[in-house]
Amino acid sequence: MPLWDKRQSVVILAGLVVFHLLLISIQIPRGADKSLFEKSVFFVYSPLQRAAVGAVRNVRSVWKDYFDLRGAHKENRELKERLFFLHQENRFLQDRLELFRSEARIRESLERFRDDLIPARVIGIDSANPYRSLVLDKGSLDGVKANMAVCDKFGNLVGRTIGPVSLREAMVQLVTDKESSVNVMSEKGRLVGSLTGTSGPICELRYVLASTTGGEEGEELRTTGHDRIYPAGIRVGAIRSIEKDPSLPLFRKIRVRPFFQFNTLDAVAVLPQVQGGEK
Amino acid sequence: MRETVLKDVFRAVLATAAAVLLYSLAGAAGPSVLVAFNAFSVVVIYFSVRRGEVFGAFAGTACGLVQDAFSLSVFGTAGLTKTLLGFLTGYVAGRIDVSPAPRMAAFLLVVSTFELGAWVLLSWAVRQEAVGLHRGLLLVQPLVTALLGTSLFLAERRFLARRREA
Repeated sequence: MPLWDKRQSVVILAGLVVFHLLLISIQIPRGADKSLFEKSVFFVYSPLQRAAVGAVRNVRSVWKDYFDLRGAHKENRELKERLFFLHQENRFLQDRLELFRSEARIRESLERFRDDLIPARVIGIDSANPYRSLVLDKGSLDGVKANMAVCDKFGNLVGRTIGPVSLREAMVQLVTDKESSVNVMSEKGRLVGSLTGTSGPICELRYVLASTTGGEEGEELRTTGHDRIYPAGIRVGAIRSIEKDPSLPLFRKIRVRPFFQFNTLDAVAVLPQVQGGEK
Repeated sequence: MRETVLKDVFRAVLATAAAVLLYSLAGAAGPSVLVAFNAFSVVVIYFSVRRGEVFGAFAGTACGLVQDAFSLSVFGTAGLTKTLLGFLTGYVAGRIDVSPAPRMAAFLLVVSTFELGAWVLLSWAVRQEAVGLHRGLLLVQPLVTALLGTSLFLAERRFLARRREA
């Protein structure tokens, strides 16, 4: 009797295991690049996720609109939306003021910023680790591309868009992801370093030499724009602790608490692409 | 034969869609819920018990790969562990009687702990980094999966019994 008939299920399992091992092994040298297969799976199933979250939101919205607060809720939503944009504009204006101190340039930047800002809603969180990525309900048809900065409604940095960007959905790598890196500077002490996530609620400020002075607990960190992904001056987080790193005596061990909160991540803003901190 | 295969493929696609819906709804409740509750595992376990090890392995592959597509982790890690979960669950459920609720709960706890352990080990082997336990919340995942899975089977049994009576 052939093996197929005798141990059909075991042969199928072995085939599937080999398939997965091949799938995993071909990714190892490619790093973070997504395979065509993975992109296809995301493209096929992300609209379903969007539909599910949309349906829940619609049901909630119908309930609130017609049975709860009716007109007041609608007005509130509009005001919230306006407030969202005002927060963004205000934050951007403040940041630009500090950076350039040139009113003409601020006005020019603000005009362009207002036109290009893409408001989006969060429809999903990373299925393996919530501190790594998000899925937004805006995609390439809405003007979203890879490597665009994403901020929450208070203007705090959330992360950046990464591939795959499908037609109506996009993935965001959070600043808390351990493979994320953001060039930041502290507000007072002008401490410059690379903010990296730990795939948990706390980030680390790396490559700050032990001999460097400046930086204190509670001090705010903002993007520098040197990485050519994130515009300069966006609030990222605050220093939580500064210690000596026994494993790496050359550098300081600086823990950072990011400002964005998951419970306020219902709406976010995708910022247009920047070049060296400028739009 | 061909019709059965097509039906099974259709069922697997439906199972995956059900998992995505559950995962999306869980995600709307907050990130902690997603750590403690793996919708894909519940769906794989349900279909493995109902349809056997071969279907379970295929459903595991489909659900696992979709889970990987919604994550920044290495594509295929959840696929492989859920394939093993589907096969193991279907294989054991086909050979021993797991219908009594306590036995079902214990069985699901064992297989979902196995899956979580396999996923942690595989992630560590692939990335050479320890997986974050999210203050121990990740360890609750097998328990939640077992409780939800058992409740699902009990609810289904009660529903079928009532329909038969009617």
